[in-house]
Amino acid sequence: MSEYHGDELHIGIPGYLGVFAVLVVGTILTYSAATYDLDFIFPGANTLLALLIAFTKMSCVMLFFMHVRWSPRLIWLAAVGSFFWLAIMFAYTMQDYLTRSQGVFSAN
Amino acid sequence: MSAHASDKFVYHEPGLQHQFDDMGQQEESVGIGMWFFLAQEIMFFGGLFTAYLVYRSKFPMAFAAGSNHLDAFWGGFNTLVLIVSSLTMALTVFYAQKSNRSAQIVLIILTMIFGATFLGVKAIEYTDKYNHGLIPVAGWNKRAPADPAAAHGEAKPCWEVAHGEEHKYVNPRGEFIWTDCSLVKQAQDHNYLTESERNGYFSSGQIDGNKFRDKVRIFYYLYFVMTGLHALHMVVGLFLMAWLLWTAWKGYYTAEYYMPVEMSGLYWHFVDIVWIFLFPLLYLLGRHFMH
Amino acid sequence: MQSEAVLTHPGEKKLNYLTNGTTLKSWLLTKDHKRIAIMYLISVSVFFMIGGMFAATIRLELLTPASDLLETGSYNKVFTEHGIMMIFFFLIPSIPAVIGNFILPIMIGAKDLALPRINLLSLYIYWIAGGLALYALMVGGVDTGWTFYTPYSTTFSNSYVMLVGLAIFINGFSSILTGLNFIVTIHTMRAPGMTWFRLPLFVWAHYAVSLVMVLGTPVVAITVLLLAVERFAHVGIFDPSIGGDPILFQHMFWFYSHPAVYIMVLPGMGVVSELISNFSRKKIFGYEFIAFSSIAIAVFGFLVWGHHLFVSGQSMYAGMVFSFLTMVVAVPSAIKMFNWTATLYKGSVSFDTPMLYALGFMGLFLIGGLTGLFLGAMGLAVHLSETYFVVAHFHYVMVGGQVIAYLGGIHYWWPKMTGKMYSEFWGKISAMLVFVGFNLTFFPQFILGYLGMPRRYAAYPPEFQVLNIFSTAGASVLGIGMLLPVIYLVHSLIWGKTAGDNPWMHPGLEWRTSSPPPTENFEKTPVVTWEAYEFGEESGLDLEEARRRDLVTVT
Repeated sequence: MSEYHGDELHIGIPGYLGVFAVLVVGTILTYSAATYDLDFIFPGANTLLALLIAFTKMSCVMLFFMHVRWSPRLIWLAAVGSFFWLAIMFAYTMQDYLTRSQGVFSAN
Repeated sequence: MSAHASDKFVYHEPGLQHQFDDMGQQEESVGIGMWFFLAQEIMFFGGLFTAYLVYRSKFPMAFAAGSNHLDAFWGGFNTLVLIVSSLTMALTVFYAQKSNRSAQIVLIILTMIFGATFLGVKAIEYTDKYNHGLIPVAGWNKRAPADPAAAHGEAKPCWEVAHGEEHKYVNPRGEFIWTDCSLVKQAQDHNYLTESERNGYFSSGQIDGNKFRDKVRIFYYLYFVMTGLHALHMVVGLFLMAWLLWTAWKGYYTAEYYMPVEMSGLYWHFVDIVWIFLFPLLYLLGRHFMH
Repeated sequence: MQSEAVLTHPGEKKLNYLTNGTTLKSWLLTKDHKRIAIMYLISVSVFFMIGGMFAATIRLELLTPASDLLETGSYNKVFTEHGIMMIFFFLIPSIPAVIGNFILPIMIGAKDLALPRINLLSLYIYWIAGGLALYALMVGGVDTGWTFYTPYSTTFSNSYVMLVGLAIFINGFSSILTGLNFIVTIHTMRAPGMTWFRLPLFVWAHYAVSLVMVLGTPVVAITVLLLAVERFAHVGIFDPSIGGDPILFQHMFWFYSHPAVYIMVLPGMGVVSELISNFSRKKIFGYEFIAFSSIAIAVFGFLVWGHHLFVSGQSMYAGMVFSFLTMVVAVPSAIKMFNWTATLYKGSVSFDTPMLYALGFMGLFLIGGLTGLFLGAMGLAVHLSETYFVVAHFHYVMVGGQVIAYLGGIHYWWPKMTGKMYSEFWGKISAMLVFVGFNLTFFPQFILGYLGMPRRYAAYPPEFQVLNIFSTAGASVLGIGMLLPVIYLVHSLIWGKTAGDNPWMHPGLEWRTSSPPPTENFEKTPVVTWEAYEFGEESGLDLEEARRRDLVTVT
């Protein structure tokens, strides 16, 4: 399994510090953006922005700190797959809650 | 010991376990194992996020109100603390790969310090909740008997309580206290209550402070369970770091054998990622309603 | 490759995994997957007996319409404990932890599982959880039903919900670690030449099962944890009186518990694939289809949990989606059925005991699966929910499916695990008793359910008594059929005929090492150059020996 030991030192100290900077900026960004009411764009815009920033931070940690970027395909699959499964759980649970009192059962 | 067909001397790399043919196979196995373990951890926390999702979509105003009483400053500070600890952890792995023992030790200690700082801040936050009657379990909050001498005016209806208004903390039985439902009024006036909220906060057409309090209590229940479970994982992480520190001190980790450091790093980063999601979802929810 | 005949050093008998170390410590601290499997075998058998005793109690109570043997509160505890013991402590570990642990590494040509210490930890966790569950049983048990529906379980039940919940929580980790181990092992420990599509279908089935275990079990763990917190602290998200939603509990609970039934049945299907192919002396028909259908069942199994919530208050539109997907998830199982049938067609079928069990599986799982479709249709579900129809359905798939496959697998691999052959005569008698007893027990329950008898009731209207008597009579026969193997299998350990390395003349890797195998499984790491299920000379099968034993091969 010699190819597993690829370029182990990966991005080096400057690289890690760069990712760190991105993460800190992301945190400050999400903290300050939360104070502005973005609901004029559409309701829930604040939440969407917060989640987008959180996803970006998570991706940075996963790809660079957790070395997924240099990992075999199976690891990518495990990482992406588990989020996909999470999405299944969210989506299929919410499809119940969101469709109650709809159609023939609605109060209108 | 069983008789082996080939009893020749075979060189085994240090740390190679008997079931593996070579270090590459061991490293691959341990890596896959750790990632699938993290996958199940994602599903474990995922159940809590599902519950959060369901209740937030049903009662967004209660969640916003509850979130506003969390100190976003401490939450943000903790986020930064964990990010720094992630950096030091990543660097620990880096130096383990370079067989640099002293750098590893320093960085593991730093990681532990930041981890402990995180837990310290959590202790501060939880104590604050205790002092303000925000722990959702009856009897688990600070008791403050009502002052019999104080004037008993007509209690203000909860929707007229202004933001940040300070009133005396009265909690004779240590229950969960919530008196501010001004957000409901605000939402009702602007007509953005959900269907569940239109039924859930009202009794006979009027805002019912007790019902609203129950919904806010659900927010705090989820807050405590989610951050509590996360903190528990943090504690386990600290024990893991302590073990790592001891073995790194003994010089076990070199460029040929550093997988335990890498695997511990994966766990630590995972705990960081959970917090990256917990912070905005719990602390930053309703701040945009306040301006 | 006879087990006792070859001597390596003069005067020294070759050691196998059973004789290599005889102290208690060498067993309890072992890293050998085979020993761990044997310890699991003993443990799951104990839990099966306990669950079976509860079943006997249920059937005895239901002989008469009145709740005369047990009062209702006690009856509730009995059926709850029957469910918990059987599902969590027998069915879920059964084939993976016993047969999978033992045979899977040997089937792929490995020395052990990838993570042997994790395997041992899994066993310890199982023991701790089982011990806790037994303790809870003895101090008073739990009466909520194995499904722990809220708010009864969080607020009103006076039984040991938290203790049993904790036991289930702990047991979940045993399951997760086993699944994790299998996934890693199948990826990294295959012998040279053992490509993915040369793997036995038993391995494919266990790969799929492991995915379900790893992704699904944590959700039930967190659900049970939340249940315990809510019960303890009187605050939470499941009790309506404090603002919670009982249906959320059901969603979270069934998100795992539906895939759990696939955890229970997929390994059984893996066993059946092996048995059908072996006892038809023919390569399995549609290898890739069966392999991919295992994965499909694992994936689709996660999308259908709402069919347990049809009458709970779930949105009708969500119900329609779940109903449609329930129909879809039946398709991969059907594909397997067709492929097994095609394997039998023009095969040289022999009716040894394991084959009787495999054929029994096919018939009974067919009935169970089809009645599942009845229940998956929303309109019928309204009529049939919470009746004995449901009880009959899941017993057909779980007992008629999984338990029968487990028995078939135990008989099939018994010579490999113990080096002894069981009595074929008694094996056939038991198999037939199980089949007859099982049908007599559970078929009347379909009728009872359709006629409206509710489940989980200690007392019922007198017009249902006749069918209940049939059911109890069947249960007695089933019980005897299940007890007989205990007797003759244990008997074979001491007085059984020595089995050779390959009593069934199968080309699989596990039959190319001694019975019982040595600790490191193979003297020399095998190199695989043949396809799976190749019953011919190319795969190295000794055709002369096969002809001597009257075993034809069909190509």
